Amino acid sequence: MKHQTKLTQEQQSQQVGAEQKTQAQSAREFASAEELLRYDAAHTTVPPAIAQRLKKSAADLPAPRTNWWQRLFGGGKS
Amino acid sequence: MTEPPADLACAEFSSLYAENSRAIYYLALRYLSDPQKAEDATHDVFLKAFRKLDQFRGEASLRTWLYRIAINHCQNLRQSWHERHVFSNADDAVWENAVARTDSPLRVLETKELGQRIQKTLDALPEEYRLLLLLVANEELSYEQVSTLVRQSPDAVRGKLHRARKAFAALFEKTGGRDYETPNQAHAGTTVPTGGG
Repeated sequence: MKHQTKLTQEQQSQQVGAEQKTQAQSAREFASAEELLRYDAAHTTVPPAIAQRLKKSAADLPAPRTNWWQRLFGGGKS
Repeated sequence: MTEPPADLACAEFSSLYAENSRAIYYLALRYLSDPQKAEDATHDVFLKAFRKLDQFRGEASLRTWLYRIAINHCQNLRQSWHERHVFSNADDAVWENAVARTDSPLRVLETKELGQRIQKTLDALPEEYRLLLLLVANEELSYEQVSTLVRQSPDAVRGKLHRARKAFAALFEKTGGRDYETPNQAHAGTTVPTGGG
């Protein structure tokens, strides 16, 4: 009986240790508001529906008329 | 003058979207405080950019140009809500869709609760501070670019940013009540130092 009690105490001790470890893992500290916002942004998913809607909307428009893509991406023609 | 083939223009625009959609969506999400309106706004911003690409003169970076369109769009939306006295009331189901879907369930729960806490904090800030923090949080924007976007001097931006950080940290602590804490966070919660500068 006494042996069982000891085992139980050990188990309890392990359990408490595990809980403390979980708490430590879940604790997060951010150096600044910006860092917190960066973390938040990195965990925010852009809804795929936007790209689908955009594709449909852009398909109804004429392609851009000037060589903006050359200015942006280094094309040499003018 | 050579006109780009439509398919090339669309391919480059796809690349533009892939590189900037997260930044623009996140700005709209946290600035408008409503995932559905942020989705609509992101669509409208990129469509506007697609229409106006021929007006882009290359004087600013493309990201800054996109941000300018996004800020104007979001500010116009907020202005029209205030005029109509309509305020955001996104429900929990909508917030659920705004967090990463690929994370583990526990991670999603944590992210969701942290996201709500951040949103509540941002909502309580003056609009100017909120925008400033969201812009400065983007590491790809320099102080000079941020000051251009908010139409203030870099020194003024630094001063306001200091106050914005302090206000954010104070409000963030305030929102750390039971409603926004997981059982674990109640003992070892998320903290933001009030310092910085």
